[in-house]
Amino acid sequence: MTYLNKLIQDLIMVSSSDPDDARRRRNLNILILGLGFVLIIAITLSILAIGRSEIGGITLIIGGSLFMLIGTIVVYLINRYWSGVFSANLFLLLLIAAISFSDTPEQLSAGRSLFVFVIPIAMASLILRPGAAFFFALLASGIIAIFSLSTGKIPNSPAILGYFLVAFIAWMSSNSLEQALQDLRIINTNLDRIVAERTSALAQALTRERIEAGRNQAILNSIADGVIVFNAENAVILANPALGDLTEIPLQNLTGSTLNKFVEGEGLSLSDQRRVIGLIEHPEKTKTGIRVEWRKKFLSVGVARVQDTTTNENIGAVAVFRDVTRETELERMKENFIAIVSHELRTPLNAILGLTEMLKEGIYGALNDKQVSIAARVMVNATRLLSMVGDLLDEAQINAGKLSIKPQSLKTISLLETLHSTMDKIAADKGLFLSSELDPNMPESIKGDPHRLQQVLINLVNNSIKFTEKGGVHVHIIRAEMDRWKMEVTDTGIGIPENEVPHIFETFRQANNMAMTTRQHGGFGLGLSIVKQLVELMNGRIDVKSEIDRGSTFSIQLPLEIT
Amino acid sequence: MKNFALVIEDDIDLSDIFSKALQTAGFEVEAIRDGRVAESRLQEIVPNVIVIDLHLPHVDGVTLLKQIHGNEALENTRIIITTADNVQAEIYRDLATIVMVKPISFSQLRDISARLKTA
Repeated sequence: MTYLNKLIQDLIMVSSSDPDDARRRRNLNILILGLGFVLIIAITLSILAIGRSEIGGITLIIGGSLFMLIGTIVVYLINRYWSGVFSANLFLLLLIAAISFSDTPEQLSAGRSLFVFVIPIAMASLILRPGAAFFFALLASGIIAIFSLSTGKIPNSPAILGYFLVAFIAWMSSNSLEQALQDLRIINTNLDRIVAERTSALAQALTRERIEAGRNQAILNSIADGVIVFNAENAVILANPALGDLTEIPLQNLTGSTLNKFVEGEGLSLSDQRRVIGLIEHPEKTKTGIRVEWRKKFLSVGVARVQDTTTNENIGAVAVFRDVTRETELERMKENFIAIVSHELRTPLNAILGLTEMLKEGIYGALNDKQVSIAARVMVNATRLLSMVGDLLDEAQINAGKLSIKPQSLKTISLLETLHSTMDKIAADKGLFLSSELDPNMPESIKGDPHRLQQVLINLVNNSIKFTEKGGVHVHIIRAEMDRWKMEVTDTGIGIPENEVPHIFETFRQANNMAMTTRQHGGFGLGLSIVKQLVELMNGRIDVKSEIDRGSTFSIQLPLEIT
Repeated sequence: MKNFALVIEDDIDLSDIFSKALQTAGFEVEAIRDGRVAESRLQEIVPNVIVIDLHLPHVDGVTLLKQIHGNEALENTRIIITTADNVQAEIYRDLATIVMVKPISFSQLRDISARLKTA
């Protein structure tokens, strides 16, 4: 069936650049095929009827049909390989000629065959221009007029009128068909144009995108810091060459890798691996990033979440690795330097203090009052110098992570006793009071590092005395909650300006102009920084409330463990 | 019989201060400034109190302390470690009767050692 279909399609098909011409020639081919089929049947039937029928002129029918068949084949070939218009005209003329000889002139002009002429008229508008129907209507009218006149009758005017009416209807339907096709072709052309425009715009956008992506890649490639991007499933989706250099992992091994594979290997210690994974999975937990040792290098790692700009959905994380080996070495040198210097300074200071004390105590003979007072002043100044050296050493040890908290059982009251024995004289020398109060709800003994707790309390009180000119300092130890206790140090000093409060715990900083206050109040401003770091090492927190010219309250909250 | 104290400290000024403090407290004092010298001297004498620095030339304080603890003759000797290092003070606390962190004042050592005297 499909084979037959294909054969018919092949027979009908015509190649022409004009779509109207192609359509008409295809129509003609269909008509020719149909007519050829009818003629072959007619010839076959006629041949079968020979000798059995009495009908005369059967040979004439066979001859006419054969003539028509040959004619249509010729027309078919012309239509297919040369001209559609010529073949169509030839076909219609052949058809009219055949019709003209198919019956008697009487019957053709006014009888039964009168309307057979309608066939070529209607066909004309299908296989030629629509207007061609009128030409064949005129031709048919001429022929029946000649037949009428030859038989002595007047031409059949209703028939002629009918021909023209058929021609008119054929013209109209073909015309509207052609118009519709025309419109369709315009629509198609517009569609093609739009498609072409869209395609070209898309191609341009793609090119732009490619240029943009290339530029971004170039920027990423030229960043000195190592950049690596993970998606929400922790797969590596991007890494720059600097990262490959820093971590000594070839870039091609990174792309398509995962977070776990990235941190594993010889580069990182197990604990650093865990820290890096933790940071990348939960970057919001660490504000400042971390520092790790990767092979022989020190790298700082900063991580930020990547969020979809419209949905705020978490789509991954970008990590930036920076080589801080040199900075780390310098910091270590600085810490070692401070520790060594502090240590070396202590021995001669200790000697100065001890020797002066011996003089003052009269070990080597009695001194007069003036000599005792001078010796005392030497001691006070040497002590101040010593405490600064102590601060430097503590700071260096805290920074180096060497300072540790050693909790043990301690008597709560001993904190205040030691405070008074150390600070009473210093407060009294400045004309200030130093009072203290112990909350009766505080347990008698608690767990804590006595040395460090003492250091925190003395540092705070010392700081308060330093910044208080009249009044004094009050220390209150309170049980804040079931599992927390507080040390509060309240002074009546100069107070801290509000904008300075966030900075007072920074290393080497005192409120206000540092150079001036250092000279006036002594010390490096390390005291509070050490206090804060010690408190944090003890899992506590420090807060400060202050009012200018009214005083400040430092309060330290610590977890309470009863022994 | 007078109480006897040995001061092992390499810094001459501190050694003088410590010695004087102990003398004032009523001790007879011998001062040694070298670890190796102290090592051999400790084979001969039995002090009531030893004041020892951890940083010493030739033989360090920790080595000496271990020898002292291994010496039955020194069983009743009280030991005062003097050090400038907080961390070391914590580590070697068990090796001494008292650990004093420098700066150590004259009167502090005088008063503490006075309490360690045996009648």
